[in-house]
Amino acid sequence: MEIKFFDANIYLGTQMLGSYKPAVKASELLEKMDELGIEKALVYHMSQFEYSPEEGNKMLVETMEGSKRLFGCWTILPPQTEEIITEDFFGRMKKNRVFALNLFPVHHRFLLKGIVFGQFFKELIKRKIPLVLSMREGGSTWEMIYSLLNEFPELLCIISDLGIWGVDRYTFPLLEKYRNVYLESGVLSLHEGSFEMAIKKYGAERVIFGSGFPEKYPEAAMLHLLHSNISAADKMKVASGNLETIISGVKL
Amino acid sequence: MKKSLQLAKDFFKYGMVKDCPVYDMHGHMGSHYGIYFPSSSAEKMVNAMKQANVKKLVFSHHGCLMSNAGNQLSIREARKFPEYLKVYCSVNPNYPELAEKDLAAFDEANDVYAGIKMLADYHKRPITDAGYKKAWEFANKRKLPVLLHTWGKSVFDGPELVGEVAQKYPDAKILMGHSCHGEWEKAVGLANKFKNVYLELTAVLDERGPLEKFIEEAGSKKIFFGTDMPWFSYHNYIGAVLGAAQKEEDIRNIFYINAEKLLKSPGDA
Ligand SMILES: [Zn+2]
Repeated sequence: MEIKFFDANIYLGTQMLGSYKPAVKASELLEKMDELGIEKALVYHMSQFEYSPEEGNKMLVETMEGSKRLFGCWTILPPQTEEIITEDFFGRMKKNRVFALNLFPVHHRFLLKGIVFGQFFKELIKRKIPLVLSMREGGSTWEMIYSLLNEFPELLCIISDLGIWGVDRYTFPLLEKYRNVYLESGVLSLHEGSFEMAIKKYGAERVIFGSGFPEKYPEAAMLHLLHSNISAADKMKVASGNLETIISGVKL
Repeated sequence: MKKSLQLAKDFFKYGMVKDCPVYDMHGHMGSHYGIYFPSSSAEKMVNAMKQANVKKLVFSHHGCLMSNAGNQLSIREARKFPEYLKVYCSVNPNYPELAEKDLAAFDEANDVYAGIKMLADYHKRPITDAGYKKAWEFANKRKLPVLLHTWGKSVFDGPELVGEVAQKYPDAKILMGHSCHGEWEKAVGLANKFKNVYLELTAVLDERGPLEKFIEEAGSKKIFFGTDMPWFSYHNYIGAVLGAAQKEEDIRNIFYINAEKLLKSPGDA
């Protein structure tokens, strides 16, 4: 039985302070994915984070070159400034193969509150569009995520780039209370036993494979998943099934 | 996985390779103030070891490092699984009498002791501090491994201080835990300059690039595998090494050849 991988956490492009063998072009990423045996990936562009969401989102679409194996993830900013969220936003997502959104409130300097995103987040819930909440430096904080979900308990969130120090004391209460919260597996698989424990307590439906490439070794999360102490059916769900279900449920 | 190396393919297929065991030179044990560890007991850790063909783990219990429970805690747990577990004698420079007492009783536990552990960044005294002197002299005299926590730019265990102790105690086998995290260049420089200084991979492997640099510039004979078990998982870290190392010889050196030599006869490593 072959396990198919659909990676929820890859970025294209380089970091300002230097990157180790990144994928700058779609062809480079696809070649790497072939080498690893990763079939599809949800991708963003590093410039969305480090340079400018407005320009970075455009760069993502250009860089993806329409590859059917790549699924875009745009970065959003508060609707009020009309930098990103403008007329026919969802139509443009559809046209450009963008199926998910992310945000970095600390680095991009805004608050993750209903007063900022109220109507827009209601729309995301209706359209089942996943919101990727990165815990990388400059992304979200646990306080922000707790207050966000308190206001929008039905929001479909994938919490990614979990910290190097185990985060179960933060994540388990969220998994317990909010049924649309998912964890990305990359760093989760780094923590001895946490991956299996999250699945045992909350189900394999709640964890989504992500590699963290190019910053992290995809081989690490992959070898871990393949030989983790969960059933073969659960491995399939984590490796690709859960993300397939989410992406196919998106209404644009 | 379309890796070209058969050894890597075998790890992916079977999760372990019989003739390529793994030695973990950096572990802990027990629960912890800042992290929930689902698998922190000796029983669960040994179980994790078996699933990845990890032959030995050298560890220091959190209780020895972060409270004054003393090394008896590590010794007691290691003796439950003598085939798998070895102990670093933890030294806290804030309690030199305790350290002295533990060092004096070292031979009573020589069935499990494999070296000495210093956690200077947490204990807030530099590795050159008088509180560590006895331990350094002890390790130097007996040519023992000393696992240091080392971190880039640290005033307690940064690369400059590692250089000082390496020079002063040339027979102690210094494992730079975390390889002076972030100051990779300096860590490589130390491993190249001093015969008795080695790189260690805990908290190094969660980032692409440093290990490739270590292999290229210091050589795989100077690199030890470690995980901070129960912090980090074996299959994740083994996968990372397989992602970085492209030669079978390097993988074998890192996983077991270097450690077998060091643990068998530290004086010759
Ligand atoms: Zn440690």
